[in-house]
Amino acid sequence: MTVTGQDITDYVARVRAALADLPPAQRDELTEDLADHLAEFAAETDGTLVERLGEPETYAAELRSAAGATGGGGRNLDQRVATALVQVRGQLRAIDTRLGPALGYETASEFLRLLRPAWWVLRGYLAAMLVTVMSTGGSIGLLPRFGGELLAGLFMLVGFVLASIWLGRRSGGLARWPRSAVQVGSAVLVAFALVALVNAEDRLGYDDYYYDQTSVDSQYSQVRDVFVYDSEGRLVENARLFDQNGNPIRLGYPDCSSPIDEDGNPLLRPYPYCVDQAPFGHRAPGAAVPTPTGTPEPGVTPSTTPTATTTPPATPAMPPTPTPTG
Amino acid sequence: MDTTQLLKGVLDLAVLAVLREEDGYGYDILRRLREAGLEEVGDASVYGTLRRLFAAGLLTTYVVPSESGPHRKYYALNAAGRDQLTRSGKLWRSFATTMDSLLDDRGMAA
Repeated sequence: MTVTGQDITDYVARVRAALADLPPAQRDELTEDLADHLAEFAAETDGTLVERLGEPETYAAELRSAAGATGGGGRNLDQRVATALVQVRGQLRAIDTRLGPALGYETASEFLRLLRPAWWVLRGYLAAMLVTVMSTGGSIGLLPRFGGELLAGLFMLVGFVLASIWLGRRSGGLARWPRSAVQVGSAVLVAFALVALVNAEDRLGYDDYYYDQTSVDSQYSQVRDVFVYDSEGRLVENARLFDQNGNPIRLGYPDCSSPIDEDGNPLLRPYPYCVDQAPFGHRAPGAAVPTPTGTPEPGVTPSTTPTATTTPPATPAMPPTPTPTG
Repeated sequence: MDTTQLLKGVLDLAVLAVLREEDGYGYDILRRLREAGLEEVGDASVYGTLRRLFAAGLLTTYVVPSESGPHRKYYALNAAGRDQLTRSGKLWRSFATTMDSLLDDRGMAA
């Protein structure tokens, strides 16, 4: 006998593949004892199966028509989806083989398989970051924290990475449901990573601008400029504001040009940014004390001419430069 | 029109007819059909027909060990198969008669 059992198995497999679009029950019915039949056939004839019977695909087409089974299309949705999947899988395999040489491997998937352990580590990190977000309520950096605790977060990170590697190495041996659970979990982590990346990107843009800003609450978000008046009601120019730690307090933003712009960082410009926009006028020494509330102080008649005797105040126009402590 | 196309409609009947004389296994049935003159019939067609007739309940099968090779799966007509053969046979004869007279009327010898 020139035909081996393996030849027959291969031939049957190809016939079955060519009948993949049939309902499974019908395909099984057609091919369940095809191997026995071919063994009988081979025992009585010479030559290989392909020489005697033609290509398996031709055989399958003849079998299909003799058994009264129809071709693909016009079948129920499940079967059409199955046929489409078979085609898509074939195309993917072709792309896989075509991309491989560009990466220096036989197939692209061979290259990707090498990256799997890296993905396992990344997956553990992403899981730790997801827990960080859930336990701290949204604000995250790059390191995991557990309920705000960095150390606990690092332990969690190590644990998750090890667990992810363990899962990755065993995923081949998992039953169907646990494996699906791992896949769904991985998909969730990938989605989480994408959202976190977009957020981080946005935050970076924000931080560029307000880099060394402190003590700004949303209630000051309307503030565009700061005008400091001394006790005599004169506008103090080139004023700087600091908090108790010596950090500059930045409010508003310069929206008019100034020679100081050339210094570089516009955020280091002293207040006011735009002298011309002072709400109470840029008055000369001896001008009226502004009364922002509009309520005249007792004993002062607003209509009277201001006291011309006012001497320039002893207070310096600029506060002493503090020694930064932080 | 070639024999292959004609065969499609009547292979059931041909297989049932071959099995009426004697039970047979796959390759044996193919050989008998070819010896009877249906030389273009293919193994897949016969095998597919046997599977379909079996699924329709017209045939029974049994396995016979062979000294010189693999077991052989024999097919045999059952009562339903014999009924079917009778009915299909009659249908074929009347159809063939109709075709014969159609051709005769137009001066073609049978």
